[in-house]
Amino acid sequence: MSTIFTVAYYTFKELLKSRVLMNAFFMGCFLIALTYIASEFTFGVPQRIAIDFGLGILTLSSVGMALFFGVELLSKEIETRTIYMIISRPVERYKVLLGKYLGFLSILFLNLIILASMSLITFKVLKGDITNMILWNIIYIFIEALLVLLLVVLFSLNTNNTVSVISVIVLYVTGHAMDPNTLKFFVEGRPAFEKLINFYHFVLPGFYKLNIKDFVLYQENLSSEYLISTLGYGFLYSLFLITLTAVIFERKDLN
Amino acid sequence: MIRLENINKDFKPDAFGPVFKALKNVSFEIKEGKITGFLGANGAGKTTSMKIIMDFIRPSSGNIIYDVKLGKKKEEIFSKIGFLPERPYFYPHLNGRDFVYYMATLSGVPKLLLKERIAYWAPRFKIDFALDRKIKTYSKGMLQRLGFLSTLSHDPSLIILDEPLSGLDPIGRKEMKDVIVEIHRSGKTVFFSSHIMGDVEEICQEIVFLQSGELQYTGSVAALLHRNRNENYLFCVKNNDRYDLKTPHTSSTRGREDTIYFEVSADDKNIMLKELVENRMEIISMEPVQKTLEEIFYGAKK
Ligand SMILES: Nc1ncnc2c1ncn2[C@@H]1O[C@H](COP(=O)(O)OP(=O)(O)O)[C@@H](O)[C@H]1O
Ligand SMILES: [Mg+2]
Repeated sequence: MSTIFTVAYYTFKELLKSRVLMNAFFMGCFLIALTYIASEFTFGVPQRIAIDFGLGILTLSSVGMALFFGVELLSKEIETRTIYMIISRPVERYKVLLGKYLGFLSILFLNLIILASMSLITFKVLKGDITNMILWNIIYIFIEALLVLLLVVLFSLNTNNTVSVISVIVLYVTGHAMDPNTLKFFVEGRPAFEKLINFYHFVLPGFYKLNIKDFVLYQENLSSEYLISTLGYGFLYSLFLITLTAVIFERKDLN
Repeated sequence: MIRLENINKDFKPDAFGPVFKALKNVSFEIKEGKITGFLGANGAGKTTSMKIIMDFIRPSSGNIIYDVKLGKKKEEIFSKIGFLPERPYFYPHLNGRDFVYYMATLSGVPKLLLKERIAYWAPRFKIDFALDRKIKTYSKGMLQRLGFLSTLSHDPSLIILDEPLSGLDPIGRKEMKDVIVEIHRSGKTVFFSSHIMGDVEEICQEIVFLQSGELQYTGSVAALLHRNRNENYLFCVKNNDRYDLKTPHTSSTRGREDTIYFEVSADDKNIMLKELVENRMEIISMEPVQKTLEEIFYGAKK
């Protein structure tokens, strides 16, 4: 346990001091100002535009951070040979991996908290009503970023950073597009295709499950079974990715 | 302390390309209580061997035997080894002290003990003044010294250093060599790689010499130098074109300020001296010829 926390602590400290959060903060300010302007100068319901923008910012910054900082989480350590200093100590590799994840996720979590507070305050100022669905959506954004992080770390262990980022972007986009509900019209009468789509989320990450923004925007509720089972899906899929990455990392020649 | 037996390592640079044999049947031993120099040109396979010793990569075949003194389990063994990779680069935003604490905590060193060790070693590494600065402000030499300091943070009994002297200026090299010697005197075993023969000859008792993945020599430096000693004497005299020396000697080479150099065998040394004196030649110097490691390993092949 202490290995995990030690690695997490110093990973967190390094990231914190590198001021990634400052960038997040300024980006938040800028985009929230934009939200304000957009909701003032466009037609439609200002609250809806505000929450639409706000959740968009949260997704963009969380997933973006997970993708672009996550890809370097391990690969940079290998490139700069710090990983050799760490694993020459009496530690187990999987604990080092878990520590890196934990440290990075803490930063991601802080980032989400800062941006979410900023955009919810803006929303409140515009007389919006903070519903449970909004909070669920924020949790889902974190799960989405978590999955992106785990995927990109897994790729970065096996290929170079550019290929890793592109692969994860492709998986992210297809994962959102493979929604059986929106594709219903398209797959009708094509049973093989239908099966493929229904099975997609068993093998590849079904990001579409986490996309509940439309429900938030139009103030519709989702059943708590759906909300909780999707959360469960996110956790199980994460567990699968973590195990796979740990097994590969444990055996990998660290060149 | 650690013995490598018939280690082979094949790399496959790309999936369909040919395999590259980085190490071919390499066997040697890191002897307890000695400074062992690991020699070889760039690309000889030194870093690869060290990575195998540290279990960062696995050999294609062969065995590594760790002395039971180090321990039985992997964790025990690695808690007694300190490793410094070549050209290390650490987290730029942490400060030096953070990094040493990080590494020592992973080894389970109590804070109080660590403070004592830092207080002892940091001034010797001339890094104490910079421990509270961000690592990104460090020079190459400072990074090397910080790395070395953290390598000692858990008081290992075996220290493995990959090219600890490269990238340092002459003064830095000298200081680093002094520290290696001091660490050795305090009872530790040191194994370090270098592609510079002179450094190894200067401070090591043992050497392991690799060439293109093959072991060329392993054994003591003294024995090697003794075996390759040559009983000649090197003379340096003022040039005199009008006179030909009769005592047998090697063909002479011209030195600075109108001097010439030549070698004479031990038996002929006194005869040559006599001839030189009788002919009023001016003797500048005379000394026994000592071959360097460089000449032993590379000179003979020229
Ligand atoms: N991961 C790798 N894939 C392919 N070739 C490698 C790899 N690592 C090292 N090599 C090759 O093995 C040889 C030995 O490298 P190395 O051990 O780094 O040499 P040294 O440390 O003695 O300079 C070099 O020719 C190098 O190119
Ligand atoms: Mg090397």
